[in-house]
Amino acid sequence: MKKNVFQRVVCMLLSVTLLLGAVSVTSFAAAGSASGEKLKVNGTAATLEEMQALVGTVSYKEYIESYANSTVGSAPEVIYVFDVDNNNRVEGSSMPSNGSGNQLYVSESADCKTEDWENFYTDASKSEDNALFLPTTVKDGNNVTPGSATWTFNVTKEQQGFYYLYIEYYNPQITDPNSTSKSSVSSIQKKLYIDGKVPFDEVGTLIFDKHWSYNNYKEGTPEPTTATEASSKIRYEERDDGYYKIVDLVYKEGNNWFKRTDTYKMTQDINGNSMSPLAEESSEWSTFISRDASGFEEGYFKFYLPYGTRTFTLESEREPMIIKSIRFVPAAAANAENATESLDYEDYLKNSIIAAAPSVSGDFIRLEAEFPDFVSDSSVLPGNSNDNAANYPIKAGAQMFNVIGKTSYDAVGQWAAYKFTVNKTGLYKINMRYKQSALEGMFICRTLKLVGGNQYKYGLEDGTPTVPFAQADQIRFDYNKDWQSDYLGDGTHDYFEFYFEAGEEYTMYLECSLGDLSNYIKKVEDALNELNEAYLKILQRTGASPDANTSYDFHKAMPEVLNTLIDSATTIEQVIKDLEAICGTKGSHLATLETIVRLLQEMGANYGVDIAANLTTFKSHLGTLGSWVNDSKKGTLIVDSINIVPTDASEDTLKKLPKAKAGFFKSFGFEISSFIHSFFTDYDQMGLTEIPEEGSTTVDVWLATGRDQSQIWRTMIDADDGFTDTYGHAVALKLVTAGTLLPSILAGKGPDVYLGLGSSDVINYAIRDAVLAVDGTAGQNGTAEYEFGAEDAKYFTTNYYKDASGNVVALADKDVLGKGDYFDSLGYTSISKSYMNTVCDLEHSTASDLASVNDKNTSYNFAPAAMNTLTLLDQTFGVPQTMSFAMMFYRMDVLAEIGKEVPETWDQLLDILPDLQMSNMTIGVTYVNALDFMMYQRGGNMWKFVSEEYDSKYAGAKIDLDSRIALDAFEFVCNLYTMHSLPVTFDSSNRFRTGEMPIVIGDYISIYNTLAVFATEIGGLWEFSSLPGSENDDGSYNYDSLASVTATVIPAGCDNIDAAWSFIQWQTGSFAQSTYGNRIVAVVGPAAKYETANLNAIEDLSWTASEKAAIRDQMANLNAIVNYPGSYIIARYMKFAFLDAYNNGANPTEAMMSYIEAINGEIVRKRQEFELPVIEENDDEALKENNQ
Amino acid sequence: MSEETKTVDTARPVARDEMSKWQWTWKEMKKNKTAYFMLAPFLLLFIIFTVLPVLLSIILSLTDFNMLEFPNWKGIDNYIDLFLNDDIFMLAVQNTLIFACITGPVSYILSLLVAWFVNELPPKIRAVVTLIFYAPSISGQVYLIWKTLFSSDAYGWANATLMDLGLINAPILWFEDAAYVMPLCIVVALWTSLGTAFLSFIAGFQTVDRSMYEAAAVDGIKNRWQELWFITLPTMRPQMMFGAVLAITNSFGFGAVVDALCGFPSVDYAAHTIMHHLNDYGGQRFEVGYASAIAVVLFIVMFASNILVKKALAKVGE
Repeated sequence: MKKNVFQRVVCMLLSVTLLLGAVSVTSFAAAGSASGEKLKVNGTAATLEEMQALVGTVSYKEYIESYANSTVGSAPEVIYVFDVDNNNRVEGSSMPSNGSGNQLYVSESADCKTEDWENFYTDASKSEDNALFLPTTVKDGNNVTPGSATWTFNVTKEQQGFYYLYIEYYNPQITDPNSTSKSSVSSIQKKLYIDGKVPFDEVGTLIFDKHWSYNNYKEGTPEPTTATEASSKIRYEERDDGYYKIVDLVYKEGNNWFKRTDTYKMTQDINGNSMSPLAEESSEWSTFISRDASGFEEGYFKFYLPYGTRTFTLESEREPMIIKSIRFVPAAAANAENATESLDYEDYLKNSIIAAAPSVSGDFIRLEAEFPDFVSDSSVLPGNSNDNAANYPIKAGAQMFNVIGKTSYDAVGQWAAYKFTVNKTGLYKINMRYKQSALEGMFICRTLKLVGGNQYKYGLEDGTPTVPFAQADQIRFDYNKDWQSDYLGDGTHDYFEFYFEAGEEYTMYLECSLGDLSNYIKKVEDALNELNEAYLKILQRTGASPDANTSYDFHKAMPEVLNTLIDSATTIEQVIKDLEAICGTKGSHLATLETIVRLLQEMGANYGVDIAANLTTFKSHLGTLGSWVNDSKKGTLIVDSINIVPTDASEDTLKKLPKAKAGFFKSFGFEISSFIHSFFTDYDQMGLTEIPEEGSTTVDVWLATGRDQSQIWRTMIDADDGFTDTYGHAVALKLVTAGTLLPSILAGKGPDVYLGLGSSDVINYAIRDAVLAVDGTAGQNGTAEYEFGAEDAKYFTTNYYKDASGNVVALADKDVLGKGDYFDSLGYTSISKSYMNTVCDLEHSTASDLASVNDKNTSYNFAPAAMNTLTLLDQTFGVPQTMSFAMMFYRMDVLAEIGKEVPETWDQLLDILPDLQMSNMTIGVTYVNALDFMMYQRGGNMWKFVSEEYDSKYAGAKIDLDSRIALDAFEFVCNLYTMHSLPVTFDSSNRFRTGEMPIVIGDYISIYNTLAVFATEIGGLWEFSSLPGSENDDGSYNYDSLASVTATVIPAGCDNIDAAWSFIQWQTGSFAQSTYGNRIVAVVGPAAKYETANLNAIEDLSWTASEKAAIRDQMANLNAIVNYPGSYIIARYMKFAFLDAYNNGANPTEAMMSYIEAINGEIVRKRQEFELPVIEENDDEALKENNQ
Repeated sequence: MSEETKTVDTARPVARDEMSKWQWTWKEMKKNKTAYFMLAPFLLLFIIFTVLPVLLSIILSLTDFNMLEFPNWKGIDNYIDLFLNDDIFMLAVQNTLIFACITGPVSYILSLLVAWFVNELPPKIRAVVTLIFYAPSISGQVYLIWKTLFSSDAYGWANATLMDLGLINAPILWFEDAAYVMPLCIVVALWTSLGTAFLSFIAGFQTVDRSMYEAAAVDGIKNRWQELWFITLPTMRPQMMFGAVLAITNSFGFGAVVDALCGFPSVDYAAHTIMHHLNDYGGQRFEVGYASAIAVVLFIVMFASNILVKKALAKVGE
């Protein structure tokens, strides 16, 4: 061993010397040749200028400071940028333009919830009261660009000064006529430019709330009544079919009195578990007042408008939107609008109406938190908490929804709103029963907003809620591990009093905010950003493994780093002290910070001699600090009920208020009962609302994902327009562990449909007759009993689409990706080089064709690559469900700093690599990925091309890894790791976060999902685009990535093939896939983005316009390795060959060649098992004859 | 016993000599039916879940069963292929023997020695020390710590330390480099091997009758080694047998740890054991018939080494 290691060391030293030489030589060579033309079709990669502009935008603080001494005009007034109602548009401002003349107007009176396009005018003169429709994307010919509108307006000398920005908007639930996208679960996001640039960082993206309400609300029918007094009474009932909130209302409309009973129902399954209601978008007009979406800056943003002509641009990022007006309201005059600069609580009480309010007594109103009327986000859903017997409602052994805030409802800006009506005019206080046990030793905040009232009005005219007084902006909820029941108040007031009028409907919004905490979090976050920069600087000097005994002379070379360390330590220490003073205790949450402070102090002291020794710890602490910031921003508050209590309520009434904790005996009884119930719960029936009747056709569907996923499918199947409703088949959905399918088929107990089988398994099962073919031919060897109808088959192929009336129509050759006879020749396509080239060429020239094929009239559902992986010997054995592939992620800030463009080709990538490596940065790509896609990018193929005269059964008979192309690609990849020293093993998300690895290539969905929650502090600093391309012989570039697919299959032994088939059609169809994709994000969160294989469904998922463009771009450049018997052996030996080249310095070509025989041998052996023809060595001639 | 029966029961019409072996067995069984009745539940389960599968796999090894379709009879083709055509199987046999020959005896002797030393400690300290030694094998997948220790990343502990010291310049792919895979796996195997056998040894040491040492001292035992060899070890032969069987099955069936550390299959089959080969054919290639043949071979090898060990243990204390 010892000798071995020593030899290694010497060799390493020698080879590294050589490597350094080689790297410098190649980098010069690359620099010489990198001027190749960019031929990318729809590149989304940002240019250097864009990245620098984005990264270099000033913060709000700097923006305000820079205008601190600016002159303010004498007569500020509201400046209208755009206004529909008042026709007093500033000159030249009325016509927005997006360059293509594609404006759309909508009549205000139109019911925007329908897809009735006749109400939208392209001609502004058609109606006087129109509004501007701003689509997500606009399609002009083949170009798909984000929808945008620009106005110009004038600011006079008298008007110049500070303004608040108001935008009146409406969230339509419509499909853009001009693009393929329609509204999805995400909020509306628009980029703002004033005079062509982002005024300050925080308003780079404006986020407009959408209103959502649950589908469990039913308005009662009004009936005339003799009562002459408005009243409202809320009661809660647990009935057999669910749990109800019932509101009895008496109200006056015109001169008549009516009564009606509204109901809210929480459905439950046969075990008594509540079923999640669906949040449905409800379109509303509301007013957006620009404020910090991240919650750090208090109050509303001020914009400085200097004298002169200004332009105002909104550019779509997500979701369509309709705009009625855009106006700048002078900061000083904002009180008139009753919104922006709120009253002090004492002043609020002094208002003449409120001061004269009579005292009220009587019963309180209990609002159970699980029944909000509106929520900000479809993911704000009710939940169950059985941790205290005092929660209402509660049932042992079942999960009844009784709280809100278990999932979601914790990010700044999310809110839940409750409607209520009091029966007596007067002052009320608000009690809440809640639990705040997430942030130990700290507090979280909620903003309380109100709208409604007659004499004293809360909120804006259009129903936009506002805070009643300044203190309501940040109501604190302190930490306690148990439930608490308390009045809303602050340090000086035990409770706030609110004035409500009898018979008026009020809506109370409880919105997540950071309040006082924002200052502290902001300080830590700023410190974190500076420390991250410092880390990169240190890294550039020392490398990843610095020598602990070298001082590196930091105090001379980079004294600013030492200052940053010391300053940050001081800042964080102060934050700890302040928070400790506010909260009174120092919980574990703060203790984390202390450790970091000690390390920073140690590193900063003594001329930085200890920096090198502590660098690794420092790095991990940066991660901890990032998590600290993330955790602190999350304001998890679980709310059971909100009670509107009259200020003079009697003692007896107060006794009835929900108690914080249940008494001992109640708790004890509940726990025991729960324990006993746990033995009798039938988990198989989870989510079943009724036991299916005997004899009805039931489709047995298995899936091996999580419980959330399964519940979403369950609700979608049972929904009104869901599968069962449409097709009339009941579905038994079973959650199984992965790997159950094989034994179950063996035992003849398999399901009718299995969701999410990997493509290699599909082929493995198919060749053994364990899954049925789905493309119109009988199963392999003709053993499958069912033959799918030709019409069914057409549904999937790329050659057909369904027209408006549902008829299946063949597409002309030119409309299809690939050729018209594409599917007929599948057996060859996977092995035919000439064919592949044709497809590649077509794909490159038709990146935009994809969009045209994708318009709503066609059912082009799946990428050819996805279908290929499920096809064996001319038959397709599954329908693609998910599809993922590698893409390139990059840090814009890091690239901008070193002044490099995003590479679009491998040449460019290798060109910037030395610069990155000089700063101890590098690029992350796993060799397993690279080996495969590099071969396909260079026009190679895994399988040897057998001329088309041969029987298609020869497909996959021999490996093509010994071809020149494949060997070159293999050598190129090996050189990336040997000559160019890319790391073979690395933690990509961590290194991407710190910036050490500004470019990472990998599976797009998993990297995106990780970064979305794991590295929120670099949000907005990174993007992704398609893979770098390789140059082909003809000078064009190939950007192919390889698809990995899971499929929905029908296992052999399926009892009811017709029903199973219709289920598959429904489940893999665009509607079900996009609904599921949106709903899973809503329930699980932003880290659950779904990689549907359905191309049409992707259009409706909640990606931003640029993300969608990038994904679409890569989808047009997609290929796949087709599986044949014996496929499993290839990856294994390719890995061996690579490791041989990397570890032992073997010649890559020789290393690969040494395994070719073994691979082919195994393939031959495997093919013989299935009695497929094999190609013997140099036997091509004989084969031809044999075939004739 | 049988002799006794014969002499006492001469008056009985049927003697041992006059009966066939089966008749005699049946008679004895009837006599001891209560015992058999008590044994039945276990016996039933044992037959269904252990004996039957073994027999079944012997039968399957003569077919081409592929998990999904009805098997065809292939005779001894699988065995012929296994021994004559399958180079990787030979490699796997070689690896398995290296593993077994190193980890088996070493871990066995290590367990014994450590148990002996631990046994000398005062009871309270002994409990603590036992826990410390036993911990690696009860904490499930704790061996994954080695994955962190020898991570292929430049930030891995071993790589970072070596780079710190200037011994290497590029990270070594510890578990993906054929040169390191086998030694590392053996080390990890030894580390986790102080398991059940170790516990049984400690228990064995406790059962030795103190008075025997006194008697031996009188009889002229000279030192602790002689005490160990002549008194302690022979007394705890059952525990030794138990430990040995465990050591053999463990060292032959060593696979999961390699999978977790090196991936499956290990680079260039450097740590590919018979167990891996079995999984490869049974799980990845769906060739259950062939996999059964491998299993049968493994079974025979284990069985043979058990007999061997039994014989060796009989020599203890002689």
